[in-house]
Amino acid sequence: MIIQLIFQIFLIIAIAPLLSGIIKKVKSFFQIRKGPGILQPYHDLLKLIKKDSVVSENASWIFHAAPIISFAAVLAAGLLIPIYITQLPLGFAGDLIAVIYLFALARFFTALASLDAGSSFGGMGGSREMFIAALVEPALMLSIFAVALNVGSTNLGFISQTVAGMGLDAMSPYQILAFVALFIIALAETGRIPVDNPATHLELTMIHEAMILEYSGRQLAIVELGAMIKQLLVFSLLANIFFPWGIASQGAGASALVLALLIFMIKILVIGISMAVVETSTAKWRLFRLPELLSISLMLSFLALVSFIIVKGG
Amino acid sequence: MSEVIFGSKIMQLLIAFILVSTFMILGSTRLYSCVRSFGIQSFLLACVAGIVAYSTGKNDIFIVALLTLIIKSAVIPYIFIYIIREIKVKREVELYVNISPSIIIGGILVVISYYLIRSISIISELSSLALSASVSLVSIGLFIMISRKKALMQMLGILIMENGLFLGAISLTNGMPLLVELGIFFDVLIGVLIMGILIFRINKTFESIDTDMLKTLIG
Repeated sequence: MIIQLIFQIFLIIAIAPLLSGIIKKVKSFFQIRKGPGILQPYHDLLKLIKKDSVVSENASWIFHAAPIISFAAVLAAGLLIPIYITQLPLGFAGDLIAVIYLFALARFFTALASLDAGSSFGGMGGSREMFIAALVEPALMLSIFAVALNVGSTNLGFISQTVAGMGLDAMSPYQILAFVALFIIALAETGRIPVDNPATHLELTMIHEAMILEYSGRQLAIVELGAMIKQLLVFSLLANIFFPWGIASQGAGASALVLALLIFMIKILVIGISMAVVETSTAKWRLFRLPELLSISLMLSFLALVSFIIVKGG
Repeated sequence: MSEVIFGSKIMQLLIAFILVSTFMILGSTRLYSCVRSFGIQSFLLACVAGIVAYSTGKNDIFIVALLTLIIKSAVIPYIFIYIIREIKVKREVELYVNISPSIIIGGILVVISYYLIRSISIISELSSLALSASVSLVSIGLFIMISRKKALMQMLGILIMENGLFLGAISLTNGMPLLVELGIFFDVLIGVLIMGILIFRINKTFESIDTDMLKTLIG
């Protein structure tokens, strides 16, 4: 049990930078550029860790504590989300509501730190982030609840185990509506293009980059790694709630575990590539048009709930 | 018989996608993407009719499905695009009710129509999805007619209502007699042509197809 716990943490930390490297590579393929190698995020993180950080004079202890708290919150959420086994090491400690609020905790402290340094860009980024968060959170909850209602439990490990057991029967209208809703939310949660542009520091468009503008050196490395881990976790939420086939169940042998690990990598790769396709084929939306996109997502997850009630006869 | 058809997974999926395409029409701000979503909706409707025909084994419903495919998902969208191109209208949909409120109103309409259908106890549990989807299509089509300014969107709204009625008819009766269906298709096609000519006239007289302008007197 302890070994699994440690292994899951190391796995998440180890493959999160690789995922963003691959997404960057795919994006540059579509833009007919060569692009950085897929191992570039590792080099960036190592370089940042070796450097000292410069901190504003006005910054209080919150500025120093926030990266660590957000990183810990995201990592703790990683222990509640099924990655390659359904029997989670900390599955007893919390369900999907805990995961959503661990993400919210991480986001809250990042926004707080962005205000703390007193730069105008930081405050702007923080206010934009909270504006989007207020729209994303209800849609995220509703879409996972639509699946949770079907399964009859809010424990994420149990959900993916049950859905995996159902086979192709799981392909019901509510499942697919909730998937589309969660895909839109994943774009917003990971700061992808219709919502936020992860590649620029242009003051008109940046959200996440504006919040972490004051960080440098080691602290920036922690913040960046936290963002990459969050991206990996949101993708594995998509993969393992809606397409959990191939996930290893309780008491699987070593070979089954290795197979489940491989299947997980492939699923994450497919989702990452489709995110990159969405990102290259759409333009960045104006900030005040975002409520339209997110209200579509909210309404899709609402439709998922309604059609569940209609089909199952509430 | 109808339980067997409408209980099947693929039918539920198609009906859910029809609802999603209706929300795509509600949520888009461009005329072209509205027309494209309408084409997708009609294509899904043709698939529904095709499945009904396949599982009941009635040949005339195949003809209905084929007609839906040709007329509603190819000819009518083409007429729309022709009109948009000919009168050189601005591509944006102008609204009385903004996008996000209208999406939320659409969701409320779906819930209301579900409750309306649930109070009718004569139908089986499984075809209630199709029937409540059809009632919500009719009400959302009506809402689009009320809340959009351009005369083209009023035309689209009435076609969405017609799609809803088609879905309801085919889910209740497993296909009406071919003669009735042919009459309806002819009506819809002629209706679209007449409305198109009417829009040309409105555009000529008022130099805009904004229905707000219809209230002003032209001497």
